[in-house]
Amino acid sequence: MIIVKDLVKNYVDDGTVTAALAGVTFTINDGEFVAIMGPSGSGKSTLLNVLSFLDRPTSGEYSFNGKEIEELNDQDLARVRNKQMGFVFQSFNLLSRATVYDNVEMPLLYEAGIPVSKRKALVEKAIASVGLTEKIAAEAGSLSGGQKQRVAIARALVNSPAVIFADEPTGNLDSASGAQVMQILSDLHRAGHTVILVTHETYTAEFSNRIIRLRDGRLESDAPVAKQRDGAGQFFK
Amino acid sequence: MRTFLTMLGIIIGITSVILLMSLGQSAQDYILAQVQGIGSNLIIINPTASSSSSKFQPPSAVLGVIIKTLRDNDIAALKREPAISAVAAEVRGISRAVYGNNDTAVTYVGVNTDFITAVNITTSRGVWFDQNDIDSLNHVALIGKNVAKNLFGSADPIGKSIRIKNLPFQVIGLLSTNKGSLFAGDLSDVVIMPSSVAQKQLQGIDYYSVFIVKYNDRYDLNFVKSRITEVLMTDHGITDPNKADFQISTQDDLLSILGNITSILSIFLTSIAAISLVVGGIGIMNIMLVSVIERTKEIGLRKAVGATNSDIRLQFLCESVILTFFGGAIGIALGAGLSYLAYVVVNKFGGIVWSFALPLNAVLLAVIVSSFIGLVFGIYPAGKAAKKNPIEALHYE
Repeated sequence: MIIVKDLVKNYVDDGTVTAALAGVTFTINDGEFVAIMGPSGSGKSTLLNVLSFLDRPTSGEYSFNGKEIEELNDQDLARVRNKQMGFVFQSFNLLSRATVYDNVEMPLLYEAGIPVSKRKALVEKAIASVGLTEKIAAEAGSLSGGQKQRVAIARALVNSPAVIFADEPTGNLDSASGAQVMQILSDLHRAGHTVILVTHETYTAEFSNRIIRLRDGRLESDAPVAKQRDGAGQFFK
Repeated sequence: MRTFLTMLGIIIGITSVILLMSLGQSAQDYILAQVQGIGSNLIIINPTASSSSSKFQPPSAVLGVIIKTLRDNDIAALKREPAISAVAAEVRGISRAVYGNNDTAVTYVGVNTDFITAVNITTSRGVWFDQNDIDSLNHVALIGKNVAKNLFGSADPIGKSIRIKNLPFQVIGLLSTNKGSLFAGDLSDVVIMPSSVAQKQLQGIDYYSVFIVKYNDRYDLNFVKSRITEVLMTDHGITDPNKADFQISTQDDLLSILGNITSILSIFLTSIAAISLVVGGIGIMNIMLVSVIERTKEIGLRKAVGATNSDIRLQFLCESVILTFFGGAIGIALGAGLSYLAYVVVNKFGGIVWSFALPLNAVLLAVIVSSFIGLVFGIYPAGKAAKKNPIEALHYE
């Protein structure tokens, strides 16, 4: 469970303070599929960075599965990211000269005590779950955009995380590949994973069951997807 | 390719270090063989300027002082000692040897008959001269292979007459090996003749430049040295040992001095080569810094998926050490290969017996030093990588 209360994140540049998040409060229960939306500069990427332990808030409270962020040091944060979080990025962030196998294996390398045979089984299972078994030995750089994002999803899955953070996962994909990626994320949600998606595309947000909208660092709305449609079933912008 | 170029500095440095240490060891082995090759149980007596406080001093000729104290009466006195079995004496000079229209530069060495028994010089053909030749001032000579080749070509020199300082010498033998060359010089260019002829007719002197004393095994070395000192001091009328006009040294002394000289030279040259290792290390650091910048996104990704700062630091340090380790391994192989090449070339074309030596300590040193350089010069880039902010790194373009 994710509990956020009065979350503030300020950036200071040359003495000028910019509030990226100006007091955000919400709760995300286990197993939810939440889309965070908002215009550029609304603070959605900052929120994702804080939620995924990549950054610390300036003030406010953040509890991830019972762990308060302010009580954890950098090493603890890294450990939580490694064991309980998975990441899917807009630009894939794969090691292009490494194989699909090596890319997917990466999070397991930082988890001590996994025997090689178990690691191999976990990697092969994750790659199979995104339908790329035949590409397991291929260089990541040689894959199509859709395939690369599927590899990134396999990497996010390999350590069976409680939460998957996806930052504009379809931003660099054509619509067919984007749909395929969203379908995989949707399947993961159905399998019990919490999925937190940052997007500015209403099409991808529709795969979620709840949308949090930000504007100028503040919560603009927080409602189930069903309540964000008009009478004709069209999405509110 | 870039990896290879990164390693190049280390490869060159380690190659130089291995090559120099290997050649240094070969040189020591060579010198050892030369000293041992002159025979065993030998003591060398050099004339030297008196009243020196140091244990070893250079022969008087080196100081530009001509000491005329080593004479036939000294030989006779020394040979009366039961511990001494032979007293080899030599006098040498440089001249040109002529045969017909051919001439060549030679070192002529006048020796007594004891020289032949005390010092291991052998002939490939012909015979040695005897005491009668020395007493009768017979103009006979044994010549080295270069002298034979330069004067006679492929013709047989035995029985023919060459001229040195306008005196005719009948060639009675050909010198076969380089053994004993510590005293005779490079035997290839040497003419050996009766000492009396070299002294009286070529140089107009009656003293020798060095004695080589062979003593019996059953006597203690220090006892023999003390006897030699006493005999020569009595013979030279000297009472104060500090004013002795000769210096006694043994094969061990020679080996020690020559070993020290080659060791110091090896260390000096190896130290110079080691500078290139530092340059190589700086190259490694430079490339690692570039690599850290190029791989910023990767660093951000690794941190996002759970790598701690220590994990990132360790990764870059390992990469740096692996680079220099393999650079070192290639350098060892290249250095050893070049040293072996030198061994082949020197033996084939140099005319001396040169051994191939690859000291284990040089190999271990190269491995340790190259890895250490990777560690030292990898610390700064690894630290920079570890300190990268994961968010900034992930969004780095």
